[in-house]
Amino acid sequence: MPTATQRTSVPVIVDEDKCIADKGCTVCIDVCPLDVLWINPDTGKAHMRYDECWYCLPCEADCPTDAVKVEIPYLLR
Amino acid sequence: MNASDISVIDTDVLVIGGGTAGPMAAVTVKEQDPSLDVMLLEKANVKRSGAISMGMDGLNNAIVPGHSTPEQYIKEITIANDGIVHQPALMAYAQRSFPMIEKLDSWGVHFQKDETGDYDMKKVHHLGTYVLPMPEGHNVKKILYRRLRRNRVQIENRFQATRLLKDADGRIAGMIGVNTRTAEPIIIRAKAVIMATGAAGRIGLPTSGYLFGTYENPANNGDGHAMAFHVGADLANLECFQINPLLKDYNGPACAYVTGPLGGFTANSQGERFIECDYWSGQMMLEFFKELEGGNGPVFLKLDHLAEETIQEIETVLHTNERPSRGRFHDGREIDYRQNMVEMHISEVGFCSGHSASGVWVDETGATTVPGLYGAGDMASVAHSYMLGAFVYGQICGESAAAFAKGRGEMPSLDQAFIAAELERIQAPLKVADGIPPAQMEYKVRRLVNDYLQPPKVTRKMEIGLQRILAVREDLPRLQATDPHELLRALEVQSIIDCAEMAARASLYRTESRWGLYHYRVDLPEQNDTDWFCHTRLYKDDNGNMAHGKRPVAPYLVELGEEKDAYQKLRVRKAANA
Amino acid sequence: MKRYDDPELQEIAERLADPDPGIRRVAVLALVDSGEPEAAELLIQALKDEDAAVRQEAAKVVDEFDAEDIADSLLAALGDADEVVRNAAAHALADLKDPGVAPPLLAALERSDDPFVVAGILRALKPLRVVAAQTPALTRLNDDDPHVRREAVGVLGWLKAEENLPALIDRAKSDADPEVRRAAAGALVYAAPERAGPPLMVILDDPHWQVRCEAAIGIGKLDYRAGLEPLIAASHDTTWQVREKAAEAMGKLRVAAAVPALGECARDPMSNLRKAAIGALGAIAEPECRPFIELALDDPDPDVRKLARWAQSQLDNAA
Repeated sequence: MPTATQRTSVPVIVDEDKCIADKGCTVCIDVCPLDVLWINPDTGKAHMRYDECWYCLPCEADCPTDAVKVEIPYLLR
Repeated sequence: MNASDISVIDTDVLVIGGGTAGPMAAVTVKEQDPSLDVMLLEKANVKRSGAISMGMDGLNNAIVPGHSTPEQYIKEITIANDGIVHQPALMAYAQRSFPMIEKLDSWGVHFQKDETGDYDMKKVHHLGTYVLPMPEGHNVKKILYRRLRRNRVQIENRFQATRLLKDADGRIAGMIGVNTRTAEPIIIRAKAVIMATGAAGRIGLPTSGYLFGTYENPANNGDGHAMAFHVGADLANLECFQINPLLKDYNGPACAYVTGPLGGFTANSQGERFIECDYWSGQMMLEFFKELEGGNGPVFLKLDHLAEETIQEIETVLHTNERPSRGRFHDGREIDYRQNMVEMHISEVGFCSGHSASGVWVDETGATTVPGLYGAGDMASVAHSYMLGAFVYGQICGESAAAFAKGRGEMPSLDQAFIAAELERIQAPLKVADGIPPAQMEYKVRRLVNDYLQPPKVTRKMEIGLQRILAVREDLPRLQATDPHELLRALEVQSIIDCAEMAARASLYRTESRWGLYHYRVDLPEQNDTDWFCHTRLYKDDNGNMAHGKRPVAPYLVELGEEKDAYQKLRVRKAANA
Repeated sequence: MKRYDDPELQEIAERLADPDPGIRRVAVLALVDSGEPEAAELLIQALKDEDAAVRQEAAKVVDEFDAEDIADSLLAALGDADEVVRNAAAHALADLKDPGVAPPLLAALERSDDPFVVAGILRALKPLRVVAAQTPALTRLNDDDPHVRREAVGVLGWLKAEENLPALIDRAKSDADPEVRRAAAGALVYAAPERAGPPLMVILDDPHWQVRCEAAIGIGKLDYRAGLEPLIAASHDTTWQVREKAAEAMGKLRVAAAVPALGECARDPMSNLRKAAIGALGAIAEPECRPFIELALDDPDPDVRKLARWAQSQLDNAA
């Protein structure tokens, strides 16, 4: 069965200038209950890899450098 | 990988689920006997998992001496559940609820106190006083985590349990599961197992259409309900769905228990109260639903009559606790509690004893019908538990499981053939090429639940729904996962299909209406106490099929007597489902 | 550098000594996951780090540790130059709940002048309920800073000691800050009704509505029947929230003389007040309540109707 990929606007935005994942920080990735944040291999910074967000905020609240911003997913806004 | 290649981890007590009940259960086992090995398995990360990842803003069912009694509480919950409760389990909760508050208080959980240090109880219901606010309740998970570390509970994050294991005598033997990031299988052998896997909150589809915009934490997708079924445990009253009032589209709680004591209320489009029912129940939800659909709809949270100081207090609580993104949701729509009523709606359906009464059957010791297997929190059948019930039954299960594990000599033997078959099932989606993505299959089955099972329930529609759900099940061999994360979702979809089928079958089995909207059958609108004053059972028969039965309601410890009439006076004059 | 037996903790210790403050900061986060009691030592070290961002990070996680292990460092951190650090330390101190830490808290209170530090220590002392905190708390009732005075009221309220009443009554009546007056009025309910009742009657005329609410609640809690007249007056307050609390309080007093005033409240346009009034009439359950209750059976608000049905059954039971 053939498949297609579709673009989707994701609710979690990481400010790469502030993110310190390159210093070994994985806080947002650790706390996400749905495991949707991963290290982007191209940048070494955190990013949202799966659009599966409960907008619950631990990633934003626990980020040591205020690099993470959670928006309400577009479909709910 | 073969079954024999997987190393087996042994522990005395295994706890599955690290949200609310699970950590309390694990700590309790250690408090009972520090020499027992306890492992806490969590699909996400214990630090921020489960229903209270960002804390909780209050206790809805606190039985504090001087404000209410266990007997009064049991009467109210019995009536709110149309009589179908296991009162011994309610009594165990009611008697332990205050000691648990004291324990949590000593651990550092912040409950609201008056200026002399006494608990600041709020009267929300008419017959008893049960609400204890927690405006600074955002640190609950941190406190649990601290206790887990102090008691040296072994924590395994990012593991999904997929099936429970039994020994040759039918007693619990452990579980098999998978790492959600590597897809590595794991087998844990245990003398006793406590399940604390939360609600089945990903069965229905939120009206937004966003798969993860659910009322419950979407990690609580019903894995525990499915595992309990497959290991042969009884599930109870699954037709008593959870449906909650919430902020429309945001799909999070409007928190009547926060705003109520401060003067806010649920109103219709005229800005007027309309709910006749006193206690949170299916009856209340039926009234809510009718107003929502009626000429005075929709329904709103009304706060615009309150003083600026009060609004600020409400905003502080609602925007820092439980679901703190509420504030930015309102900002996005330029909604201000001072000027606007906030539109409300009802949630998608689910199984959750925290707010209703369905789940894996447990008795007053937390025991399921499988020896050595215990259940606590939103997944277990004790009615109207809320957060405090999860803590109390976590504690009860911890005590029961510790005793069971100590009474059991050798580690149980494992069924290698079963493990091999389960390993095959776990890994199957990774081996499929050009198959169906998990999200697509999940959307389909959850949309069917909305179309065919969401109350008001209609017999013929539910029959069609069941057939369509079974047709989705037929597609499982084509379910494909391209990475470990998709495998997690693919395995979750299988639990969701199990739960959807159970929801349909359980709803068809009870041929009456009960619990207001939760089980409102349009073509069978009457409550029928002659045939259905009982719990319903759903279990796996010898052929592996879903089977049903009745379980008598245990003799009441607290007779309702005159209270029932008083309550009925408060409640509604009309027939329950008129 | 000290060596730790636990390899994970040793690795964190090494990262905490890294010259890069970013690495040290991330290492602090890892401390939280260690079950080793010695992790607290490393946290204390991080609380003293030269880099403010590292100290902030350490302060943010102090509530993940058992505060008794780090009490001294928390007290020191109360005086940190950085506000985030000071706030976190103050919060963590308030969770100590171990009477054993009272002596160092009291010693620190003695030598502190910074209002933030003083308020933080008082807040930490409050749940400990130690008698030794009484004298310093009484002194701080006259502090220039309203936050300090408010926390001092808290300490004294929780102590529930007879001899502190005059000072609390004074604050409740005449403090310049409404939140201090409200807290002090709320604290009076531990006293005998004849001692706390008269001042609460006066406070029912406070210029701030939340203070007036607190006074009405207090008179109800104390069941101070001599307070009926001012409660009746308060049932005509311009602020409906005060009228509501006055009605609830009259219900707690359960005296028939309150019935006419409650009857007026039962016709108020604000449904929350009508609820309170009918609830109070049901609690009083005297025959003269009946007409008001029967009228409320047809109230447009279902909560009022529900309560009216309940109140009716109370009347029937009393008859």
